[in-house]
Amino acid sequence: MLKLALRNLLDKKIRFALTTLSVVTGVTFVVGTFALTDSLRSTFGDLAQDIAGETDLTVRAAQEIGNEADRPTMPDSLLDEVAAIDGVVEASGTVQARNVVIVDGDGEAIRPQGPPALGMNFSSRVFFLIEGRAPVDQEFVVDATTAANNDLQVGETYDINGPVRSQPFELVGIFNFGSPDTNTSLGQTMSVFDTRTAQQFLGFGDRLAEIRVLVNADVAEVRAAIGAAVGADYEVITQEIAAEEQTEQFQNVLNIFTSILLVFAFIAVFVSAFIINNTFQIVVTQRVREIGLWRAIGVTPKQVSRSIVVESAIVGLLSTAIGIAVGMLVSLVMRAAIRASGFGLPSGPLVLRPRTVVLAVVIGLGVTMIASIVPAMRARRITPIAALSQDHRIERSGWRRRVAVGGAVTAAGVVCLALGMAGVGSTAAVLALTGIGALVTFVGLNVASPAIARPVVRALGRPVQALFGMPGRLARENAARNPRRTASTAGALMIGVTLMATTSVVGASVSSTIADVLSDAVRADYFVRSEASPFDPATGFPAQLLNDLENRDEIESVVGYRVAFGGMVVGGDSRDVVTADFDTVERHMDGDVISGSITGGDPLTGIALHVDPADDLGVAVGDTLEATFPDNQTDTLTVTAIFADAAIYGNWLIDNALWEQHFGRRDYRFGTAVAQVEDSQVAVAEVTARYPGVIGENRDEFREANQSLVNSIFAVITVLLGLSFVIALIGIANTLALSVFERTREIGLLRAVGMTRRQLRRAVRWEAAIVATFGGLMGVVVGTVLGVAGSLATPDSFITTVDVPYATLAVYIVVAGLAGLLAAVLPARRAGRMNILEAIAHE
Amino acid sequence: MSVAAPPTHAAARAVAATKIYGSGDTAVRALDAIDVTFEQGQFTAIMGPSGSGKSTLMHCMAGLDRVTEGQVLIGEVDLSTLSERDLTLLRRDNVGFVFQAFNLVPTLTAIENIMLPMDLAGSAGDTDWVDEVVSATGLADRLKHRPSELSGGQQQRVAVARALAGQPQVIFADEPTGNVDLNTGAEILGFMRNAVDEMGQTIVMVTHDAVAASYADRVVFLVDGKIVDERTDPTPERIRAHMNQLGA
Repeated sequence: MLKLALRNLLDKKIRFALTTLSVVTGVTFVVGTFALTDSLRSTFGDLAQDIAGETDLTVRAAQEIGNEADRPTMPDSLLDEVAAIDGVVEASGTVQARNVVIVDGDGEAIRPQGPPALGMNFSSRVFFLIEGRAPVDQEFVVDATTAANNDLQVGETYDINGPVRSQPFELVGIFNFGSPDTNTSLGQTMSVFDTRTAQQFLGFGDRLAEIRVLVNADVAEVRAAIGAAVGADYEVITQEIAAEEQTEQFQNVLNIFTSILLVFAFIAVFVSAFIINNTFQIVVTQRVREIGLWRAIGVTPKQVSRSIVVESAIVGLLSTAIGIAVGMLVSLVMRAAIRASGFGLPSGPLVLRPRTVVLAVVIGLGVTMIASIVPAMRARRITPIAALSQDHRIERSGWRRRVAVGGAVTAAGVVCLALGMAGVGSTAAVLALTGIGALVTFVGLNVASPAIARPVVRALGRPVQALFGMPGRLARENAARNPRRTASTAGALMIGVTLMATTSVVGASVSSTIADVLSDAVRADYFVRSEASPFDPATGFPAQLLNDLENRDEIESVVGYRVAFGGMVVGGDSRDVVTADFDTVERHMDGDVISGSITGGDPLTGIALHVDPADDLGVAVGDTLEATFPDNQTDTLTVTAIFADAAIYGNWLIDNALWEQHFGRRDYRFGTAVAQVEDSQVAVAEVTARYPGVIGENRDEFREANQSLVNSIFAVITVLLGLSFVIALIGIANTLALSVFERTREIGLLRAVGMTRRQLRRAVRWEAAIVATFGGLMGVVVGTVLGVAGSLATPDSFITTVDVPYATLAVYIVVAGLAGLLAAVLPARRAGRMNILEAIAHE
Repeated sequence: MSVAAPPTHAAARAVAATKIYGSGDTAVRALDAIDVTFEQGQFTAIMGPSGSGKSTLMHCMAGLDRVTEGQVLIGEVDLSTLSERDLTLLRRDNVGFVFQAFNLVPTLTAIENIMLPMDLAGSAGDTDWVDEVVSATGLADRLKHRPSELSGGQQQRVAVARALAGQPQVIFADEPTGNVDLNTGAEILGFMRNAVDEMGQTIVMVTHDAVAASYADRVVFLVDGKIVDERTDPTPERIRAHMNQLGA
């Protein structure tokens, strides 16, 4: 049987290659993702060890609540206490803040894309000077990568935007971070000052972030001694823990990256499974006579199915091997690209963990074999009579059953979707219901789609026939000829298009929501934000900017906003906190206050919240809440207002004054201004021009910026999904090549009676176009339904307006059709080249 | 394409047509300098033992294959001068085909199959003529059926109708009755005979069946790529006797 399987594979090299290619793509994706992230992880693990290795113990404030950026600080008097403890050789205080942005010689803000822009104080243990000297008062030094990429020169003076204000500093040195030989700043920009300057400029006053300690005695004993001296508000961590935390932070980022890539890999594999299944189905159909002959000469049904399974195993194994090799190559290239894009990434070996190999085999081999089970089972049912029969077809399961089963499964999916949309249960449950509903609906539609394939494909083919006459007619008929094959070929394409359409609908809805929120709920005329990555939770701009703006006559009032995700605990759960200025914010925003008033609320003891958590906690205006902040302080706050629009304030709003009591960060994430006069644009531009890297926008600009951000996110997703689209096209080419082969005689006949090669190629190409358009159409229909469902299920803070981007969706259908034309070029050429006499004589 | 009216009455002819397969020591002469003319309005049968080259002759004459040396003419057009595309158009417009089996495109209805060459040319054809051909098939009520819904004999009649519908210069039939039972075969041959007698068509038929050949006006015998003999006014008995003599 092995010999038979091998011979079958070698006979059909092109089909074999195409089938393999589709599996290879999925495996490559998985292996590439893991090899890359594992390598980065191990590199970074080593690096974190190195950096932490310079410190034996670290003293810092204990933190239970909120982000690392909101860890409470400590008075610098603690430094002397720690230094006095027996066994402590050296104790140095550190300060560190984000959003410390250097303005280069051209007046451009230096903003790393993704990694933070850090401001720190100098220590010769981690900053290894390669040029100049250590900074003293009102001076700074910078990491080598940032200096080189932005042409920063020692001796020059540069403006730096800090959390509070913008200030000029002289650059006196350049350093390698982490190691004397190479800078391992990992894409972060590091502006480093002497401790006093850093404390003042970064808003620490006379406080410190951490104390780093070197010891000359037993580390555990010294740790205990320091712990006892500083008390329970502080913690002392070893270098192992510090390294672990560093690595963990990095891992969290990597894990998100890995998960996203794996989702796309999964989609690619899913599409490949369709193609493999389809290929084996067709192959079995084409070999019915041959298999019948085997059966007649005594091959058992089991042996027949085994030969199919062996064939698929060979395809799977080979694809896996190629996929692993290509995946490693891809990860090498990607790592080089990351390094080339300016990340100070140390080199290290590429890591291929056993887990990656196992997964690759499970996916490559597993998916191929699972996809071949049904065809193998069908091959088993072939009787010896089939060898003699004229009709090559195997009896197939009834349409009626197909429609019934498919319909039932689809209905179940739709019920899940409906429940999700109706908002049953928690947000998690809603999203889960919607997701499962989508998957089930998709499977159901695929079961039922052969039943609708014929009428839909015939309808789609009508214009083709009208346009191209007989070749068009043949394209149309051939597309409708084998509904199951058409449906599953189109199905592979449908997956990608469905996801792309869903993404488009959700993206358009988010975009429309932004526009609606702006026109309905936002009253401010100007918007101030940093041009840094909006995904960095600690992104921001100097607080002074808003004061400058408010001092202009053209501006009536300004409001600064800050955000701390999980920055507060109320009722036992951590909550996302947004800040504003109570007394002015209602002139800038309309959060749809349904009871009480934000204006007039006490800045230090008031809190406003959304109606949902208010209902959950059973509080009304005038009631009190216990809120605990990152500094471990608990305040009793009075509810001053309850609002209904979560798109503006999120769920929890406090005043900036209360924030400043409990949080160290002083920069603003976002600012709004209300104009005093019509002509105020110039004033805003003048103020923001003094803060490079900060953007001031009017309403239109702000809306466009937000929408283009949303659009670019969804564009990236669409591109990644496009990969599954490409795999599906391979599937179309594959199916079509098989179909052409199957119709050899018919093609010979057509050519004999006078069909030109051109007409024949056209017929084959347009057949593919019709099938692909069918896939695109189904994908768009299903994707739109899922997108609308998803948008309705998404919490109101993200999407309130559901928008269907008809033009984009129409483009997807057209692109699918055109892609089909393209995919068919090779099969069409092969059909055209067929020798007529051989074709006519073909069995 | 326009074909000038032939000065002779030849619908198709071969002049020293030679077909060699392979090269060097393994070369096989399938056709060996054959000269043959098929007159307009005549029904010719080509007979010969297996491997005699009768199918090769038909393929070369019909523009499905090219001769190695010599000439093949449909009307006055020398096929060796035609490009692949022009050859295809010539087959479409000037040649009709009836094969042994698998004559019809399964996705098209009977009438669409009949109209196929004309549809490929984008022409409506001669409607009266097509009506006449269709009514001669006796399948007027089955025209909307697909081939799979027709009997073997009906399928062959549709195939003959297709060959006739475009009023080609010559129709080539390759064992048209090879796949049907005797009665059906007789019916198809009668239909072809009728097409020649009543409609003035030219048919060249390859067969090894003496009975089938007896429907022809003229029988050409081929052995080893050469025409060894020909008979007019054949009967099955005489053909059979002759074939035996040729050692078939």
